Amino acid sequence: MMPAVATGLTRIAARVPDRVWLALFVLIFGLLAAYVVGAINRRLLTRAGVPDVIEGTAFERTAREFNTSTVRILAKLSSYFIVAITFIVVLTVADIRYLEQFWAGLGAFLPRLFVAVLVLIVGIVVGDKTELLVAERLRGVKLPELGVLPPLVKYSVVYVAALIALGQVGVQTIALVVLLAAYAFALVVFAALATKDLVASAAAGVFLLLRQPYEIGDEVRVAGERGIVQEVDLFVTRIEADSEEHVVPNHSVFRDGIVLVRE
Amino acid sequence: MASLTEYLSDLVADADAVLLFSPTRSMYDRIVDDGTEVVVVAPDNDLDAEVFVELPLPFDNVTDRIRFGIEGSMDAGLVDEGDEVVCLTNVFGDGSDAVIRASVDETVHTGIYDLFVNSRAEPSVIRDIFEVAIELGQKGQKGKPVGALFVVGDAGKVMNKSRPLSYNPFEKSHVHVGDPIVNVMLKEFSRLDGAFVISDSGKIVSAYRYLEPGAEGVDIPKGLGARHMSGAAITRDTNATAVVLSESDGLVRAFKAGELILEIDPEEY
Repeated sequence: MMPAVATGLTRIAARVPDRVWLALFVLIFGLLAAYVVGAINRRLLTRAGVPDVIEGTAFERTAREFNTSTVRILAKLSSYFIVAITFIVVLTVADIRYLEQFWAGLGAFLPRLFVAVLVLIVGIVVGDKTELLVAERLRGVKLPELGVLPPLVKYSVVYVAALIALGQVGVQTIALVVLLAAYAFALVVFAALATKDLVASAAAGVFLLLRQPYEIGDEVRVAGERGIVQEVDLFVTRIEADSEEHVVPNHSVFRDGIVLVRE
Repeated sequence: MASLTEYLSDLVADADAVLLFSPTRSMYDRIVDDGTEVVVVAPDNDLDAEVFVELPLPFDNVTDRIRFGIEGSMDAGLVDEGDEVVCLTNVFGDGSDAVIRASVDETVHTGIYDLFVNSRAEPSVIRDIFEVAIELGQKGQKGKPVGALFVVGDAGKVMNKSRPLSYNPFEKSHVHVGDPIVNVMLKEFSRLDGAFVISDSGKIVSAYRYLEPGAEGVDIPKGLGARHMSGAAITRDTNATAVVLSESDGLVRAFKAGELILEIDPEEY
């Protein structure tokens, strides 16, 4: 009985073409590699301190809700990528000919999809993190209007990440790039307009602090105001007259000149 | 034992506010739940207390500490004259070990809070000057007792009411009090005669200044010397605050508007 079964199995095995054995071997190796790479990735990311850095970001919290974590998702992603590649190789090796065109296209597309998803996840996590950092910085300034700033920073980062991801997948992103350029341009112009006087004052302030054309205690006339200099800092000069204190921005000191009053 | 508890509850009965000096978290939570108005007086607002008065120096003198707390609460509009407050503070070692009842009236108001918070100079600058003066009083200069006079705030006017005794070592420099290096510099320069002039924001404007205020009408305790007299007088003529380290008795005294506000023994810190 037993020898009969054995010979039957051998015959079946002999009938299976070699390439199928090869495909099976590749499949097992691929799955093993996927598991190992996933585990190593998880360890590496944990060792690099990624969980501590992204602690508290929205993405991480969402991941926690689904009983997983960002690190695990990233590790799984690399595993799935290898598994997918393995399947394609297996199908090629096994010479299964149907839908060849589809698989070839997918084979080229998969790595890009992988990079796109990766960029998107990293973008969202970095965006969350920068939002947290900016919010932390602004906590000392108790101004409700500044509440719009952290989400703005976050969505800017996510937007750029999404743009890169879409570019990877091959979606036409020119319109979005133009939008980004317009946004960045507006940001630069507004920043320049808003801080124009401050920057000019600071530049003049550096000169005033280095050369000290007038000192605390000198009587001066600046921008039409006469008084005793009380304080010179980077942005303003404080001049005190009788019962009045003039706070003169340094750029106007520089523009209008200084009159040192000597009796 | 019952009478002791009764006495204590009599002591804290009908208090308008409770002043907690550097309380622990559990103590604060227990007392906040009680319903009376609670003021936390501490160096930092670690507890995120709603009502908080910052303590610039860990006043070793309990009377000064309580005065500072009460004046700070008055300034914030939490207590008014005629109110009764209960203070929980520490006298020996760590942790609150004393319950003190005080009524808020004019005798309590010495201006010790105004000295730090409502002076022309920034509170942190005044605190830094105090720290330098106290450290100088503890260690002296090369082991010998040393005197020093710091005039803080309203530097423009002070400079116009004084003249240089010699070249100003701080000319064209940008040193501010509070940097560690500056403490060493001030210590070295303290052997110079004359006053240090410090601006509102803490910039050291000059050393070696001979103050020339009008001294008439300045009333300071008898026995204090020329350094204290000129320091007190300059604060009457200007809006500055003077911090004086006495060479003879080693005490740090602060003057404002020509009056002695605070007296600290550096050895106790």
